[in-house]
Amino acid sequence: MVVDVKTRETSEVETEQLATGCEAIAEAIRLADVDVMAAYPIRPYDGVMQAAAKLIANGKMDVEYIVADGEHSQFEIVKHACAVGSRVFVGSSGVGWFYAFEAIAVTAGLRLPVVAICGNRALDDPGAFGTEHNDSLAVRDLGWLLPWAETAQEALDLALMAWRVGEDRRVSLPVAIGLDGAFLTHSQHIVKIPTQAAVQRFLPKFDLGDRLLHPDNPITIAPQVDQDWLMEIRRQNDHAMRQALGVIREAHADFKTIFGRGGDSPFLDEFMTEDAEVVVIGQGTLSLPMKVAIRRLRKEGHKVGLVRLKWFRPFPTEEVVRSLGRFKAIGVVDRDYSFGSPFYGGVLYNEIRSALYSQASRPAIVGFIAGLGGREIEQPMATEIFEKTEAAARTGLPAGDVCHWIGVRE
Amino acid sequence: MTAKALAAATGIDYREHLRLPMMPHILCPGCGHGIVLKALLRAIRSLDLDWDRLAFVAGIGCSSRLVGYIDGCTLHTTHGRALTFATGLKLARPDLTVVVITGDGDGLAIGGNHLIHAARRDVDLACLLLNNETYGMTGGQVAPTTVPGSVSTTTPRGATEPPFDACALVTAAGASFVARGATSLPLELDTLIAAAIAHRGFSFVEIESDCPEYFGRYNRLGRAPEMLQQQRRRFDEVDETLAAKRFVGAPPHAGVPRLRTGVLHERKT
Repeated sequence: MVVDVKTRETSEVETEQLATGCEAIAEAIRLADVDVMAAYPIRPYDGVMQAAAKLIANGKMDVEYIVADGEHSQFEIVKHACAVGSRVFVGSSGVGWFYAFEAIAVTAGLRLPVVAICGNRALDDPGAFGTEHNDSLAVRDLGWLLPWAETAQEALDLALMAWRVGEDRRVSLPVAIGLDGAFLTHSQHIVKIPTQAAVQRFLPKFDLGDRLLHPDNPITIAPQVDQDWLMEIRRQNDHAMRQALGVIREAHADFKTIFGRGGDSPFLDEFMTEDAEVVVIGQGTLSLPMKVAIRRLRKEGHKVGLVRLKWFRPFPTEEVVRSLGRFKAIGVVDRDYSFGSPFYGGVLYNEIRSALYSQASRPAIVGFIAGLGGREIEQPMATEIFEKTEAAARTGLPAGDVCHWIGVRE
Repeated sequence: MTAKALAAATGIDYREHLRLPMMPHILCPGCGHGIVLKALLRAIRSLDLDWDRLAFVAGIGCSSRLVGYIDGCTLHTTHGRALTFATGLKLARPDLTVVVITGDGDGLAIGGNHLIHAARRDVDLACLLLNNETYGMTGGQVAPTTVPGSVSTTTPRGATEPPFDACALVTAAGASFVARGATSLPLELDTLIAAAIAHRGFSFVEIESDCPEYFGRYNRLGRAPEMLQQQRRRFDEVDETLAAKRFVGAPPHAGVPRLRTGVLHERKT
């Protein structure tokens, strides 16, 4: 992809506004000049529906917008709009996301760069509206790119990145941005809204090229291939996911040049790690209570820090290994569960352990499951997480006791 | 109204059939769904049904929350699937009387397919569809029942798509009992619900309910009493002069279709 990247112009105006995570995403839909979006109400994702409808009604955005009759048809609508060359947006939460699962699975199989948000919400039953990452994580093996946002600003930025990376011909895969339900979808932040001109420099027009379904280009989408070709097609998906790492690095560099944001690494956001001996790693808004705890513990002399993972898929193994290999012990905080998994740890715990297994220097890794169903991670819980990780740094891991549930009434 | 229904209406202590520890309920002030719940409890009393052989099945949404407050055998299921749960329940326990409570979003959008197939099979269920023209629980989005021109959070300039006529839909699909009731005609509701429960086969009652909090506010329809008055004026059966006596002017979403209440279709099986 050839992108015309100039240095940041001083005359370029960006506006600031107070926006929730959902409203920031709606602004990204406007800036990216999305052609088709389909919606179906479920909390907490539905904040985007209202925000987008308002932008359309106020004449600020022109997008074909349909409220579907359920998530399944909602995701099917955008998938097929994408197949005929439209830039699309969709999203859901929790069980709504799961109801769309057939469409979600084939979207990745068809290599259609649908951009979605998953307003992370616990899966029913029993019912809960609060954040939990198992909805997004359910698609982790299917070929969806999975970034997680920390703030409303990052939600907007990641959405622009999502269209750029997903629609890149070397990748051509769908992207689902994780937004922690309530903590991010419905909390307001000051958000810098870039100009349309700047976004156009960053985000080229969507072009499916010879894969466009059009009468002038007669092709078949989703043919029955059976065992004759399925492995080759899966292998292409695998190749695309490998390519995605480099494409994200490129896009991140351009994003920084044009918008002046994004941090040092596209994949990791480190906080007070320079001299840290012990760090905690997690995703999304977990960083907020953890940063508070780190500042407090640092005053008491603890050398602790935070590494926040920004992209779960593709998993940035090289960056994760390089970063985490420096520390004595790592606490992995999962806002998810993976019942019956190795050491009964969360999903991220086992991914981190797996990434570090072949390294010569392996820090002790302690697993934590916390904040499920939207439960707040309070300061005593954050302290406990650091205490247990520091203990592992001092004495190594006790056998068979490496994953902890934090803040659970026994 | 039969003498039995009248006795049920006057002699009932609703608290006997409600889960009082679940109070306060989540419904907004002025919501029409409470009127339906009371009518349902009165209808059951008028039929002298055994509460141990009665099951209530609901999907997701404001209307479906009613089962949480009924002190009986209740199932709160997944979005749109109340009729499939109820079908399974009825197959396994044909001795039970099964009442399904669903809403316009639950029953006509995400669960619309199940509605037409339950009607086609004429499964012996009583399905009450509470139609408030919006997705109230998630904040007032446009629904497949929203009258064109109505404001919702996803149609700030007015809805454009034509709505379903739920009664015509299930009649065409094969339901053997189809009726329409309204929260503004609460005692007629008792009779319709009782007849639906007593009917053998798929019985369907669409109940016009009101959502003052989302639909009413966005459409400047006033509060619950004003909305009930306006609702009555949509029905052919209500004397125009009676409606004209009241203080309410013409509904702002003029052009709403006129509706018939009562039993619209019945086929004895």
